Amino acid sequence: MSVSTMQPNLDQLAGLTGVRAGALTRWQETGWPHSRVEQWRFTRLASLEKMDLRPASAAAVTGTAAISADLPKNAAILSFSNGVLDVADLAVLPVGVKASFLNENDTALAALAASVPASHPVSDLSLAVMTSGLHLEIAGKVDVPIILAFTGDDNGVSSHPVVSVKLADGASAVLAEWHQSAVGLSAPLMAIEVGDKARLDYAKVQHDSAQSAHLAATGLTLGEGSVFEGFQISVGGQLARLETHVTLSGENADCTLSAIYLGRANQHHDITTNMSHAKGHCLSNQIIRGVLDDSARGVFQGKVHVAPDAQKTDGQQMSRALLLSRKAEADAKPELEIYADDVLCAHGATVGELDETQLFYLTSRGIDRDTARGMLISAFLDDAIDSISHLGLAAMLRPVTTAWMTTSNHSEAGDQ
Amino acid sequence: MAPLLEIRDLHASVGDTPILKGINLAINVGEIHAIMGPNGSGKSTMSYVLAGRDGYEVTGGDILMNGVSMLEMESDERARAGMFLAFQYPVELPGVGGMSFLRAAVNARRIEAGEDEVDQLEFVKLVRAKAKNLSINDDMLKRAVNVGFSGGEKKRYEILQMALLEPVLSVLDETDSGLDVDALKIVSDGVNLLRDPARSMLVITHYQRLLNHIVPDYVHILAGGKIRRTGGKELALEVEESGYVGIDDAA
Repeated sequence: MSVSTMQPNLDQLAGLTGVRAGALTRWQETGWPHSRVEQWRFTRLASLEKMDLRPASAAAVTGTAAISADLPKNAAILSFSNGVLDVADLAVLPVGVKASFLNENDTALAALAASVPASHPVSDLSLAVMTSGLHLEIAGKVDVPIILAFTGDDNGVSSHPVVSVKLADGASAVLAEWHQSAVGLSAPLMAIEVGDKARLDYAKVQHDSAQSAHLAATGLTLGEGSVFEGFQISVGGQLARLETHVTLSGENADCTLSAIYLGRANQHHDITTNMSHAKGHCLSNQIIRGVLDDSARGVFQGKVHVAPDAQKTDGQQMSRALLLSRKAEADAKPELEIYADDVLCAHGATVGELDETQLFYLTSRGIDRDTARGMLISAFLDDAIDSISHLGLAAMLRPVTTAWMTTSNHSEAGDQ
Repeated sequence: MAPLLEIRDLHASVGDTPILKGINLAINVGEIHAIMGPNGSGKSTMSYVLAGRDGYEVTGGDILMNGVSMLEMESDERARAGMFLAFQYPVELPGVGGMSFLRAAVNARRIEAGEDEVDQLEFVKLVRAKAKNLSINDDMLKRAVNVGFSGGEKKRYEILQMALLEPVLSVLDETDSGLDVDALKIVSDGVNLLRDPARSMLVITHYQRLLNHIVPDYVHILAGGKIRRTGGKELALEVEESGYVGIDDAA
């Protein structure tokens, strides 16, 4: 499967060295995964193969599109256009955050390469292409939310922003990714390292254009006694996969990695997580909620791996999907791989429709059917959103789901 | 003047099974009618047909409110036109906050009537005042709709909604079921507070005891999908005495 229409466009990359050269070689050997590759069974990339994408080389000339008005007011915003960072924005970074460029920081680049999902097409391709490579080191308590805002205007290009974020021991920060791009493919590669006793509140919104593809790969490493509270919403794009690999590398780490996907038309959303409990006494919790209308499809693949010595592990995972149309489809593939004997792990996956009795109860009070449906869908999603403890991030995420519901096409396909 | 509610030769089916087989009933403004009947007589089906629930198909006849047929109206339109159904089994809505639910229901009626939406603070005061009459405390009001409520609390919450929505026609479906004596009194007192010359009620019950508290003007006996007998409040006592035997298969 090495044939890809992207191939000729990668020729310009000749001359890479180090981890990037290795990544390019691996990409050129494997290309996009075939649907027979188990991890990509539910998310097929055939449409991507047909796109003649060039790696982006420049920011959009038209200026960046306006992004959400709901970003935290005091946020420091770093803008990426077509995957290219506007370096002038680095001036807004708050005290305690040190920025450098990955192509000038071999140590950080090597650490990133070791942390992101291994033998992964996005890891390899984006590391090789790297439209921009940014490294942030955070020390102390940084209250100003750092927002990475991704826009783009060229549907003939692919964007490959690569960002590594390292929180020093005891540090705390708030980080969000806001993707609202119209490029052909967004393939952000992230590595996040949370040091011992550090805390990161994190959110990601994938709100790309309807024709865009979004394939994200993130590697997350948590140190001893650290806390990561993360929430992702996938609502835009035609084809989207948000893949996160977590390694709990110190005892007593606490990781929340929840997600919502909202699909309509023929959108495809894939949330894939790999939660590796390498050390004992760690907590991981994942609440996944999906709402699918029309012919949309949702996928949740969640693997929890508990190493032989990782005793007293608590790993929880619950995925629920709500289908608003007979043609919508949800797949869930939870996997537990447990090699320790004293653990508390649970997972569950349900797929259902709106409850007609609940709808009748609401409409019998005079509430119109669309509003009643919206109330029940909100209740279904709030279950997940209510778990976000950072108020600024919650205030940024909530309007995303509300907006999705108010732009509903009111399909009643379930009744057809 | 047309009756507030007129049911004309109403036939209705659930799936392929005919349940209601020719109901005739007229309720004038200000009247309270009771419908009594044995299990399986069609009492609950009648309440759902009146409220317009999907799956309860009218196969013949008509239902008119103030002379206008309601058959083409959806359940929410009927509610906004002034109909209210107090459920036999109120539905739990996890995640739907009680106050926002009550406000959405009240606003739906107000918007229909061309009025402004309720002021949030005044609404809270109004709900608290009405809730007090029904021994509903703030904790219950803060919870999700019907979630964690006891059977009696659910029934009181139904009457609270009725008090807030001020319907012209209330259908109370076995509101007494599952209530102990004290709870029955609270609920009945709540209903009696809403008696008004401008409002009518249809009280559906299996037992006569509710009618000691909510005293009807007329009592109808429903059996086998038809009204078999109609009388005053003394008819309920007669049924209490001799049961439904002999009425069930009268026709």
